Amino acid sequence: MAFQVLDPTNEAAPPAGLLAPRPGSLRGKTVGFISNGKEGTKGYFAHLDRMLRESFGVAQVVSRVKSNYSAPADGYIVTEIANWDAVITGIGD
Amino acid sequence: MNLASKTYEAGDIASVQELYHSNGWTDGLPIVPPTRDAVEACLDWAMTPPDQLVGIEPVRAQAVTAEKLAINAVMAGCLPMHFPAVLTAFTAMLHPDFLLHGATASTGGCAIFVVLNGPVRLELGAAGSFNALGNSDRATATIGRALRLALINILEVRPGGIDRSTIGHPGKFTFCVAEDEEDTAWLPLAQQRGMPPGASAVTVMAAGAPRQIMNEWTTQPEEILETFAAEMRANLRHYSLHAGNYALIIPKQLREHIQAAGWSKADIAAFIHERARIPRREWADVGKGAVVRDRGDTIYPALESQDHLLVIAAGGPAGGFGAVIPPWLGNKSRAVTMAIGACVDCEPAKG
Repeated sequence: MAFQVLDPTNEAAPPAGLLAPRPGSLRGKTVGFISNGKEGTKGYFAHLDRMLRESFGVAQVVSRVKSNYSAPADGYIVTEIANWDAVITGIGD
Repeated sequence: MNLASKTYEAGDIASVQELYHSNGWTDGLPIVPPTRDAVEACLDWAMTPPDQLVGIEPVRAQAVTAEKLAINAVMAGCLPMHFPAVLTAFTAMLHPDFLLHGATASTGGCAIFVVLNGPVRLELGAAGSFNALGNSDRATATIGRALRLALINILEVRPGGIDRSTIGHPGKFTFCVAEDEEDTAWLPLAQQRGMPPGASAVTVMAAGAPRQIMNEWTTQPEEILETFAAEMRANLRHYSLHAGNYALIIPKQLREHIQAAGWSKADIAAFIHERARIPRREWADVGKGAVVRDRGDTIYPALESQDHLLVIAAGGPAGGFGAVIPPWLGNKSRAVTMAIGACVDCEPAKG
């Protein structure tokens, strides 16, 4: 017996985000961190902060922590991203 | 009825299974072929047009339509009469309080726990008695499975994809219970949570695996409930200190003692709220002393308020076994209760 069956997936792809232009160099730039606030993020981002300033000449690192580590970044953090040249986000389980 | 989904041809039932498995469209178990007739029957039963927007998952801006939900319900084994419960449960999961993306993506690996209340349970043959949290009946088995398949297929919640669960738990196949309203004097959960008497409703909760307890050696409500509270304290120690929704499954044998003493669900919640709490220093007793720091004396209650306890009458007639169903992660996701068929905009347009 032959079947005609239906596709159970969304088929429509979710709206794609656009990547910001890549900075050629990080020297003199401002880099933002968005941490999920878990314990493991502290050492990781502290090390990354040092590395970016000392090895890559980053002028300023701005650290922000989400109020809920299971939800998207808070609106005020998303608004701030426009002021940064690059952003690094990650979880720290 | 104008269905928008792509159609595939399969020569026989085995080919259908391979098509769906090979595309990652199943939970690993065989599915019921979602034919046009079967899907349309679900939508007809719920008086829902296929393009009705059930909601939009906000993080990835993914729209969920009734048609896609019905396809997944058929695959799960749902009959048309089961579909309104699936539709309502998924609508409830899309409520902002539920934080669906977090609850389905988290390493914490929770499942969607569903409680059915009201006359719909009897119409569907959803049983809240023997084996209530297991394979008790067709309705709860398929309704719970439909939600998982819909997450997999509509929102791409696949292991290693959006689903980042470290271990998950068996409730991620299906995790639905009907409250045994006929065999208790207590208010049904949905009514306790604001639904009108007699309304059929679903409650959804992002939940960890059930933690089973046993106490057959007392008739005192305080002692019975102390066992439940102790299991909640264990969860605070071994899992998470965050307060959130907890569900208690109380079987007939235990609730008869509690009811005989005149205790209501609200009395139970008041007792549990008081007893289910620990000082942070107890984390040092279970290998987690590194994060106690100077907050050892701070008290962490399992419930922010009494209202956050979901007391459910369910389980077979004999045995002093109950269960504590813990939250995924504190109050980051909150349980949502919604009436079935209460949407006034859900009738298809005439003509």
